[in-house]
Amino acid sequence: MTATLPAAPAAPEPATAPSPPDGARLFTRPVVRFRGSRPDLILCGVLLAAILLVQGWNIQQYPTLSDDEGTYLAQAWAVQNGRGLAHYTYWYDHPPLGWMQLAALTWIPSLIAPESMTVASMRLAMLLVSAASAVLIYVLARRLWLPRWAAGLAMVLFGLSPLSVVLQREIFLDNLAVMWMLLAFCLAASPSRHLWHHFGAGVVAAVGVLTKETMLVVLPALLVTMWRHSHRDTRKFAVTGAITACALIGFSYPLFALLKGELLPGAGHVSLWDGITYQMSRPGSGFILTDGTGSNGVLDSWLYYDRVLPIGGLAGAALLLATVGRSVTARALAGPALAVAVLALVALRPSGYLPAMYVIQALPFLALVLAGGAASVAHAVLRKGRRTPALLPVRRAAAVLLATTALVYVVPRWYEGDRTAMTADANAPYRAASAWLGAEVPDPAHTRVLVDDALWLDLVHAGYGAGLGAIWFYKADLDPAVTRTMPRGWRDLDYVVASPTVRRDARDLPNVRAALEHSTPVATFGEGEDRIEIRKITGDGTTGDRNSRAEAP
Amino acid sequence: MLISVSVAAISLALFWMAAFTLWWQMHAWRTPETLAATRFERPDGDQGLSFSLLLPARHEQAVLEHTVDRLLESRHQDFEIIVIVGHDDPGTAEVADRAAARDPGRVRVVVDTHEAKNKPKALNTALPYCRGDVVGVFDAEDQVHPDLLAHVDHAFGATRADVVQGGVQLINFHSSWYSLRNCLEYFFWFRSRLHLHAAKGFIPLGGNTVFVRTDVLREAGGWDQDCLAEDCDLGVRLSSVGKKVVVAYDADMVTREETPGTLLSLLKQRTRWNQGFLQVYRKKDWKQLPTLGQRMLARYTLMTPFMQAFTGVIIPLNVAIALFLDVPIGVAVITFLPLLTAMVTFVFEIVGLHDFGRQYGLRVRLVHYLKLIAGGPFYQVLLAGAAVRAVWREQRGRNEWELTSHVGAHLVREEAR
Repeated sequence: MTATLPAAPAAPEPATAPSPPDGARLFTRPVVRFRGSRPDLILCGVLLAAILLVQGWNIQQYPTLSDDEGTYLAQAWAVQNGRGLAHYTYWYDHPPLGWMQLAALTWIPSLIAPESMTVASMRLAMLLVSAASAVLIYVLARRLWLPRWAAGLAMVLFGLSPLSVVLQREIFLDNLAVMWMLLAFCLAASPSRHLWHHFGAGVVAAVGVLTKETMLVVLPALLVTMWRHSHRDTRKFAVTGAITACALIGFSYPLFALLKGELLPGAGHVSLWDGITYQMSRPGSGFILTDGTGSNGVLDSWLYYDRVLPIGGLAGAALLLATVGRSVTARALAGPALAVAVLALVALRPSGYLPAMYVIQALPFLALVLAGGAASVAHAVLRKGRRTPALLPVRRAAAVLLATTALVYVVPRWYEGDRTAMTADANAPYRAASAWLGAEVPDPAHTRVLVDDALWLDLVHAGYGAGLGAIWFYKADLDPAVTRTMPRGWRDLDYVVASPTVRRDARDLPNVRAALEHSTPVATFGEGEDRIEIRKITGDGTTGDRNSRAEAP
Repeated sequence: MLISVSVAAISLALFWMAAFTLWWQMHAWRTPETLAATRFERPDGDQGLSFSLLLPARHEQAVLEHTVDRLLESRHQDFEIIVIVGHDDPGTAEVADRAAARDPGRVRVVVDTHEAKNKPKALNTALPYCRGDVVGVFDAEDQVHPDLLAHVDHAFGATRADVVQGGVQLINFHSSWYSLRNCLEYFFWFRSRLHLHAAKGFIPLGGNTVFVRTDVLREAGGWDQDCLAEDCDLGVRLSSVGKKVVVAYDADMVTREETPGTLLSLLKQRTRWNQGFLQVYRKKDWKQLPTLGQRMLARYTLMTPFMQAFTGVIIPLNVAIALFLDVPIGVAVITFLPLLTAMVTFVFEIVGLHDFGRQYGLRVRLVHYLKLIAGGPFYQVLLAGAAVRAVWREQRGRNEWELTSHVGAHLVREEAR
């Protein structure tokens, strides 16, 4: 029964307590109230400080600035500066929500110090994302009924694995999407089983997918989690509500394209359809387990940083999925385990395209299932069949032995990996190139440079024209709006900054290749494969009329 | 520019309105605990109160006898039934007198001699004759569960309430496309929304299955004879002066009713309610509510029929503007927000229909879901029509009671259960 309050109510009177037979079936597990639990707050706070220290220290110098980071940050810059969704034509390569968030995240610093809007300095913004994700994974672990130590373990695995440290430092949309997806899982596993929490989980999941579309494959795992954590009596409303919310928010992207008249392909404009077709038809990078394929190389690059989290996580997922009928922990973690399984299967497609950041979206789930697997094993060793107290010392000894073995294996490897991350400087050549281009070129405003995305914002801040002065190198071949301004091809350029990315991709880009061929290095930073050369265009008289040419912004 | 700003403003307003309505409509299903708390508590067998059950009947000879017989089957030990008939309605009076003759100890007949008749006048006529501690109101076509009185008795005792409102449910969802939607409206209202009102301390009561302590009712001066929604008005007056209202809903304990037999009578009924809500709003009793939140809820609830009408017109218009006029892309996206909430409401209605079928053991078929969806826009037109008609009638000072007659459709099909 629901009662009104007497006049001038003070505290809401709780609805009449449900009668025992109904009440008994309402609560299946003790509820973890995170905010009111001091040990949880302390543990989470201490681990968070450690994670922020390890991830934040030396964040600008390691790892190497990536082209993709430059792309997203530059587009965030374009959003901030009112240039639309990108400073070149937005062509539906990804939903724009990701870099819109980046724009919001970096908005205040970019107001205070506009020149700080470069990849290296704005990596600091990713610390906020990492911190949010790390806290969320702890909350989620507790909401999935993991014991406190296992929740802490999940947080450590997620935040301190050298693989995580390297990838979470970078300005990747995947990191933002992971944060949203973790929030969605937390809401789906809300202890109050509130209709609007589940509804919110649907909304947030859609935001995650619109941040990075690959998150789509994780949605079934979210659904499983929500199903398990909703109550029989209210489940149909909660789950349909969440699915509806997710679908409706998701549809806002095609709706946006429709309203712009860019849903379907047509002459003279980009379209969502073309964008999707491009992403789906990207040439495959081979089978992940076949030596020498691109996918295999990507896998090796992950395992180079850390084997514990990817391989241990897969083993944990397998263990949990195999014991789902017998283990309480396995049932509680069915959602994350399913997420790992789905992501692994998608990576095992024989001819799919596997990007290097693919593993980012798997990291939280790998960490959760590995911690869950550890909790499961610990329970089996310490608790199961407690009837023989004589065995207790043996059980304890076994547990200590297992824990010690794990620590002896993991700690030296992670120490080495994280030490590199906290001390190595991989970006000196980039900084030097940026400084050179800022100081040594006499008239940046009238100079045209092909440059990779990672350095592009540096050049814009140094006074080069955004878009047609400082040019994303591949746009010289791929964007008609840019090609049109270069009627004489490489002769209409002044410099090309040959970073490893530029040299690698030039094979398929005739204008870039020609520019490289018709130029000589005037400054070289770094050595070998990783060197960055600033090459000045040489050859037949191209300097005569260049200064008089109008420079379209 | 002006178009953009106004369209965006209207869209946002509509969005928030629809979002609040949806939030309140889904109140009971927020958490499993909330849902469990909407039920009657099981009675402990201690029956301390006596009941006077008022049964106003006007041209109801077809269903009255059945209703009285069923009421007499109640397993409570202390109640009387007072049938109120008009002096100009010999058919119904005959049925009532027959029932009184059969059980003179528990059934009495009171004759209402007002020249112009309406339900509040009938109820007020009978109020002085009530001997029970609690006055209950039923309609002549109601099917009342035999255990209801015992549950209500326990609810009064356990919560020290002044008013207990039980559930009322239209059942004949299969009769027509609009009865389907009408049934579902009742389902969401009594199953869910009313509990929110009880919790917030502002409640428009329902027309029947409502129980009020006799002294409280007399103190309040009975029902307002000039109000077209005397039930809503009573609830507003009582909750505004801080009387405690308890709402309980159990699928097997609700009072079953039928939808109006024709579209026109539904329109008339809805017009009367809307006009009544408008009257209650203008009486301003709700202004005595202690908190601003309660007053806002009251204002909003009493205005809902009119906003609903407005929404039904604006949503399609908005979408048309977004698609065909040249407005900025951001504004165009905003115009879709009300549609978004409308879609969510739609989906929850479908799930609600499923739940309704489960709760009442009724077979809801695919065609009913399709009818629900297809009927949505037309029902919206009906609601808008009733709202406009209500405003028009109130403006012209037309205040007479348009009664809906009953054929007993809910008695036949669902009786078996």
